[in-house]
Amino acid sequence: MTLLKKGTAVLAAGFMAMSLAACSSNSSSGNASEKKEVAPVEKEGDKTVVRFWHAMGGDTQKVLGDIVQDYNESQEKYEIKAEFQGTYEESLTKFRSTKTSKTAPALVQSSEITTKYMIDSGKITPVQEWMDKDNYDTSQLEEAITNYYTVDDKMYSMPFNSSTPVLIYNKDAFKEAGLDPEKAPRTYSELQKAAKALTKKEGNSTKQYGFSMLNYGWFFEELLATQGGLYVDQENGREGTAEKAKFQGKEGERVFNLLNDMNKEGSLGNYGTNWDDIRAAFQSKQVAMYLDSSAGVRNTIDTADFNVGVAYIPHPDEVDSEGVIIGGASLWMTNMVSDETQQGAWDFMKYLATKEVQAKWHTGTGYSSINPDAYEEELVKEQYKKYPQLQVTVEQLQSTKKSPATQGALITVLPESREAIVKALESMYEGKDPKQALKEAAEATERAMKLSNRTAQK
Amino acid sequence: MKEIRSKKFIFYTLLIISALVIFFPIFYAISVSFMSEGDVRARKLWPSDFTFSNYGSAFEQMPLLHYLKNSFIVSSVVMIGQLILSSLAAYTFAFLQFKGRNVLFFIFISTMLIPWEATMIPNFLMVQGLGWTNSYAGLTIPFFATAFGIFLLRQHFLTVPYELREASLIEGLGHFGFLTRVVVPYCKTSFITLGVYSFLTTWNMYLWPLLVTSDDSARTVQIGMKQLRSQEMATDWGGVMAGATIIVIPTLILLFLGQKQLQQGLTKGAIK
Amino acid sequence: MGLARNINQEPKSNKTSVRKSDLKVGLLFLAPSILLFSVFLFYPLVRTVYYSFHITDITGEQSVFVGMENYLFLFQDPVFYESLKATFLFVLYTVPTSIGVDLFLALLSNEKLKGIGFFRVIFSSTMGISAAASAVIWLFLFHPSVGFFNNVLNSLNLPVVQWLINPDWALLSVSITTIWMNLGFSFLILLGGLQNIDQTLYESAAIDGAGYFSRLWRITLPSLSPTLFFITTVTLINAFQSFGQIDILTGGGPNDATNLLVYSIYKEAFVNYHFGTASAQAIILFVFIFILTILQFKFAERKVHYQ
Repeated sequence: MTLLKKGTAVLAAGFMAMSLAACSSNSSSGNASEKKEVAPVEKEGDKTVVRFWHAMGGDTQKVLGDIVQDYNESQEKYEIKAEFQGTYEESLTKFRSTKTSKTAPALVQSSEITTKYMIDSGKITPVQEWMDKDNYDTSQLEEAITNYYTVDDKMYSMPFNSSTPVLIYNKDAFKEAGLDPEKAPRTYSELQKAAKALTKKEGNSTKQYGFSMLNYGWFFEELLATQGGLYVDQENGREGTAEKAKFQGKEGERVFNLLNDMNKEGSLGNYGTNWDDIRAAFQSKQVAMYLDSSAGVRNTIDTADFNVGVAYIPHPDEVDSEGVIIGGASLWMTNMVSDETQQGAWDFMKYLATKEVQAKWHTGTGYSSINPDAYEEELVKEQYKKYPQLQVTVEQLQSTKKSPATQGALITVLPESREAIVKALESMYEGKDPKQALKEAAEATERAMKLSNRTAQK
Repeated sequence: MKEIRSKKFIFYTLLIISALVIFFPIFYAISVSFMSEGDVRARKLWPSDFTFSNYGSAFEQMPLLHYLKNSFIVSSVVMIGQLILSSLAAYTFAFLQFKGRNVLFFIFISTMLIPWEATMIPNFLMVQGLGWTNSYAGLTIPFFATAFGIFLLRQHFLTVPYELREASLIEGLGHFGFLTRVVVPYCKTSFITLGVYSFLTTWNMYLWPLLVTSDDSARTVQIGMKQLRSQEMATDWGGVMAGATIIVIPTLILLFLGQKQLQQGLTKGAIK
Repeated sequence: MGLARNINQEPKSNKTSVRKSDLKVGLLFLAPSILLFSVFLFYPLVRTVYYSFHITDITGEQSVFVGMENYLFLFQDPVFYESLKATFLFVLYTVPTSIGVDLFLALLSNEKLKGIGFFRVIFSSTMGISAAASAVIWLFLFHPSVGFFNNVLNSLNLPVVQWLINPDWALLSVSITTIWMNLGFSFLILLGGLQNIDQTLYESAAIDGAGYFSRLWRITLPSLSPTLFFITTVTLINAFQSFGQIDILTGGGPNDATNLLVYSIYKEAFVNYHFGTASAQAIILFVFIFILTILQFKFAERKVHYQ
């Protein structure tokens, strides 16, 4: 016992000594220096190196790589180094802790829900500054997209890969069930009816589900926004700092009730939270309709051995569709690099926004073009002949009415809130009352917002 | 005779079934890596038309060989570092006597109780402050000290007979000499065990290398695995399995070759 | 075969000069370890304790002191208890099963049969496969639509199982993957331990006419006890620290069914940026493991027979 006592005593003493060291080193941080320290200019030969952190894996990385290579070969001043950082979350984690160093990035791709965080981080240069310097005409960009990244008439980041949600359905299955394959359901009641008709049972197991939606917060936000519903108060956080959740109101309830009803009727398939799983289910004809991102449309059409239809996401019978919020990510310019490097980053951003490059990006991946002129390019027109369904994604985006609802929620805790929604969906499928599930998600979101606001006040 | 035969039969049956069950996932992964997309979707067990295209795309998408090299270097360095530091510390706790030795041992062991996740964030900030991101240093030095290794070796060191110590004193061997010339050979099996364990644990590390490397220079192969799966677009399972196979085959070969050594090393302790 | 030394019974040197020089050498040998432990383990741990009494903003820099608030919140948070439950269940599923399975395989492979080397290689093969690769392979196997398992169930006309989506199955599936992953190493260690057992003990038992199971119980297991103790410790530690496979297979879901404590800490810190609660959870985890290990050492080590 004495050994234990002695050991613990020594440990305790050590801890106390360390705590003093730990606490004192923390209190000295937070003194903002007058001049922002920047990384030294990195050169490769004569070219200035611009580090670009991104989260594009798989096929999208290939297309991006091609575009970067084209740019590097097309001019002599800058060399873009595209560096994969993992998922959006992992990339953000790294960015959060990154301080100015020689490998600091000049450009960071960050998902749309991190917008408020990025703005508040103090590590970025609002892209508006460079636009003003250059007299860049932002009207050439797709308004529905730039709206998301504009706060108080200032554009903070340059949109890059923007996706929208769509309803994808199996046209052949529609025909089989006696439904018109060219007429996709638009309202909730149409959806429910179609789902029921499309559900095929064999004894005790269901061979084909009518409809499915990935357990992912983004889809819920979209279904909410298309009704004009707000996610949080303060006009979705765009007029002031949001404090209360609004998604549990009647718009949110309509969404949850729809899903709950279909689940009870047996026409809703549950494929969890993995994009692959739900797409594979569609491909293997286990589900006839599902919500997906426009970015996956082309791939889905290519791999399916049946006719695929693409349509707008549904809206309740009581309201008109107001459009969609854009998803995906944008490019942020950091202030951790010298002006010269930032200039290079800006130049690259402009290159990416040209209609030729956007046409290439759009046709190569399925992400929407941020430059509407791209749709006039030959490349795109060819693509549309092969995949007329892609046009639906563009039409849905361009017909969006501008409002705080479709601008999307601007809060720092959106990732956490999305988790809460996923949990709410999962517990509802396990039998919880939809209203109760929503309420719990709202409480979790509000708690997260409160914590975040408390620290922001310092 | 019959009893022995039926016993053999039982053993072989159990062995074969176990082997099939355990090896199946690896076998399947390799099989899928050679499948075309259609086969994958149709959930075939064996490719109907053998294709190498998945391997092509796996290599295309990331500098696999470079990652493998990094993983190998990092794992080896940590292994060597751990072996050296642990043997020095274990020696102290097993052979030296001084006041407070046991207290110090207790403190060392208590570090095993600290889950790495509890120190991850401050550690990352520190490593960054030292400028060790994207370097082998950041991936290796923090892991050289391991209570686990010290504990393992110390247990074995304790079984070294006192006579050997006395004999070495007579021969005029100092501590270091005793350690290197007597203790290490005597406890070879533990060294091998520790070496294998550290190498593999380091090879497996996932979150830390991801945090610490933001470019490809020092990146390890686990991160490469993640890169094969894209987020919003569908996963190319054939390509992912090809990647997994590439990562797995070298270690399997190493294991197969080293099997004999490992076996011998582990059994040598029995015959003294 | 010399007598093992009980370090506390050694003739304590009376010469203070020897002890002094031992001290010097000792400190020299220990210096690198002490340095690294202090810098990379103790200091960050203290920082984490510090964090646990604060709430931090999204950059982790600004912080507000809140005393015990984080702990108090956790103690009444159903999600935290879910994590605890999931963690304990996971340990329960994986540790005894792992040891049982690995021991079974080691015993099988210890027999002198022709071609036994081949089987040993197969059984140890999972050691070479990292958590990431393993998880990805099993993810594919568990796939609800194109996965092998459901494929088999389908062809047998049985209902498919949502291996990773059904909360009741998710923890089991993750456990199966973990047991498979950790097979190779434990198997090899146990095999080594078996082969280290003095053969003469068996010979005398054979003379007495003892059967297979009797030998197993009376000779093999007791002789194996140091190795078993070691493997149990390692498996326990591994179970508490499982991360990679959860990240890839389930992300902590569904509905927190696989949200083990370690994973929950990661999520709180790196997805939600609540360093305060994440640190508090980490400290609680630390306390648990601390107590568990002390208990284990006190009770289990008594039963271990050192030769």
